[in-house]
Amino acid sequence: MADALARLMELRDDPFRWARDWKERTRGKVLGFFCGYVPEEIIHAAGALPVRITGENRVTSKSGAHLQSYCCSLARTSLDMALTGDLDFLDGTVFVHTCDTMQRLSDIWRLNAGFPFHIDFVLPVRFEGVAALEYMRLELANFRKKVEENIGPVTDAALSESIKLYNRNRELLAELYSLRREDPGIMPSDQALWLVASSALIEKSEHNALLEKVLEGLGGPSGQSDGKVRLFAAGSVMDQYDFLKMVEEVGGTIVDDDFCTGRRYFDAQAPTDGDPLEAIAKRLTGRGSCPCKYLPSRDRADRLLDRIEKSGARGAIFFQFKYCEPHAFDYPYTKKEMNERGIPSLNLEIEHDSVSVEQLRTRVEALLETVRGD
Amino acid sequence: MTAEERKLYVKIKATEQMKQLMTDYYIGAKTAEGTDQPICWITSGGPVEFLIAMDVIPVYPENHGAMCGASRMSVELAEVAEKMGFSRDVCSYARGDIGSAITHGGPIGGLPKPDFLLACNNICGTVFKWYQELARYFDVPLFLMDTPFIHKEKTEHAADYVRKQCLELVSFLEEQTGKEFSDERFAEVALLSVEAVDLWKEVLETAEHKPSPFTCFDAFIHMAPIVTLRGTQEVVDYYELLRDEMLQRIEDGVSAVPEEKYRLIWDNIPIWYEMRNLGNLFASNNACLVADTYTSAWAVDIKIDEPLTSMADAYMKVYLNISIDIMIDQLLSLIERFEADGLVMHSNRSCKPYSLGQYDLARMVTEKTGKPVLIIEADMTDSRVYSEAQVRERVEAFIESLG
Repeated sequence: MADALARLMELRDDPFRWARDWKERTRGKVLGFFCGYVPEEIIHAAGALPVRITGENRVTSKSGAHLQSYCCSLARTSLDMALTGDLDFLDGTVFVHTCDTMQRLSDIWRLNAGFPFHIDFVLPVRFEGVAALEYMRLELANFRKKVEENIGPVTDAALSESIKLYNRNRELLAELYSLRREDPGIMPSDQALWLVASSALIEKSEHNALLEKVLEGLGGPSGQSDGKVRLFAAGSVMDQYDFLKMVEEVGGTIVDDDFCTGRRYFDAQAPTDGDPLEAIAKRLTGRGSCPCKYLPSRDRADRLLDRIEKSGARGAIFFQFKYCEPHAFDYPYTKKEMNERGIPSLNLEIEHDSVSVEQLRTRVEALLETVRGD
Repeated sequence: MTAEERKLYVKIKATEQMKQLMTDYYIGAKTAEGTDQPICWITSGGPVEFLIAMDVIPVYPENHGAMCGASRMSVELAEVAEKMGFSRDVCSYARGDIGSAITHGGPIGGLPKPDFLLACNNICGTVFKWYQELARYFDVPLFLMDTPFIHKEKTEHAADYVRKQCLELVSFLEEQTGKEFSDERFAEVALLSVEAVDLWKEVLETAEHKPSPFTCFDAFIHMAPIVTLRGTQEVVDYYELLRDEMLQRIEDGVSAVPEEKYRLIWDNIPIWYEMRNLGNLFASNNACLVADTYTSAWAVDIKIDEPLTSMADAYMKVYLNISIDIMIDQLLSLIERFEADGLVMHSNRSCKPYSLGQYDLARMVTEKTGKPVLIIEADMTDSRVYSEAQVRERVEAFIESLG
């Protein structure tokens, strides 16, 4: 276990090292993507490696000529990485229709980043209703066609195999979360969230093998969980591991989350019988929803509140990137409902070019004091 | 208005009729609150023809947002939403609207309560989140018309999806109103809508004349009926009147800016609270803003023989639902048709789909036409982020550079 965990943790300092090595070793194609709604299984079935880009903590030098300062730092730093050559191992990029910023970033990226190919996967915003689901299936087929044109054939057999592999990965990550819910002391939050994020950076069968070894060693009881304040965290991308370490240092631990690089990445499974594209569509609509998607039968914020209650968390942290409208819109309602349910929470706004964990420390400490009733 | 300003501004006579039309509309909408006639709040890019055909009163929070902005009341309303926890980075129309819903504040004492909501995301994803919040607050149903973004070309399955949603919208409206949808009535409304849209195009086209009888600041004011009431006879009548007045101006040699020397194009939503000052600033420098990318959004093509299908297609293809490389063609065409000397872009903090990409568009315009571009950083209704002195200095320097 120690060895497998160490191998995964090493990647945190150089997230694309595995992809670069893989490309050199196999001469295969590497496809960058941003959004958790990308049907990675289709890319995998074509023999390419999907790699997730989520920006990084840096002061931008080149993206300012293309994006205004009121654009979120996920978009600004990711574009900067592309324009400065830090993503030169990519053969192409996939953009999914989510928020207004990603929609325009796709245009700007296609016109300026200079990668050999560019795919837009225009998911519907509505995730319920006959017309929306039919459109989703056809757009998935369209995506498969674009992958085939740019990478290589995607057979049904290969796609079914990829789905099984990805389901196994989701199953392992879900197991990790349920073990930590019982006994969060078995692994600190920053490592648990990195285990999810790293899954989108290396080939899935290798990630599965490493995860299995990590899980084998996590029997518990850890004896470290008593006195830790169990928290829920929500937001889009969570890539601030120093922040998570600080939360643990001051006596908190994240037992469940709604990050798109966390629970939402592995939430729900694709059925393994029937048409594989249909199976992928079922998973996309069945998983925890991003605030950019609309499921009329139940408000996303209400679903989130249910999850917070089920997690057994005693407090919550909203971890938002500045200028992220979709999340900012859901915050006041969710916050109000949480107040009514007696769950204290904290709202933090972050930008990748100016993260200061120390400034956040006292605010997290104050939240923990409220929870403990100090 | 000072005497000096008055010289810069040739008043449009039809303005009085427009004001009356809009006043009557708002009084009608407000007095309908609590009666049997349903009220629906709808986004500016939404398919209002369906509502008119079902005798539903459409109410436009964006038009109301513009009114609040122009009367400089947006900030106090936005602050109400900010106290509730809405970030200052959220669209200022949405903040002002939510604030007004709670306090009934603003120039007309707030909007009448909706019975249901219709959001169309052809202008942004923001409207979906905004209307979702309205659905929570008023506890009323929301119909989201989802128009997939066109990155390079419109796909057939996306067009089909939008057409099918038009049918779903019909069922939704039948359920909400308890009335049956009439294809005949819809065709009548669509015809009136096409007539109004065509007249609006004619009005905008009069600015192709040198000197122009019309500025985009006029268009921003006179667009209210085409946004809110297209599909009704009153709007057709009104735009006939306005068009005739503009044609008469051309005949009489009357220009909007008395000494028009420079012709410019405007990009993005107006800076509502600063519109008069900006209009005067450009006019006093003999510059006329002859066209804009904003008001032409309501000049879409609808085919009379296939109203539903062509309407679905038209609603998908609006300026904010297409990629930068399609937008540039439209911008270049405006510059050419209106013989413009340059482009003024409002980089609008509140509107990401309109503003992100402007830096690239500006470069493309200069590369392809050699014409200069001025980018003004502001917000459509949140005046707290606006620096009047800085904008004045930049506008003057820009016009000076035109030679």
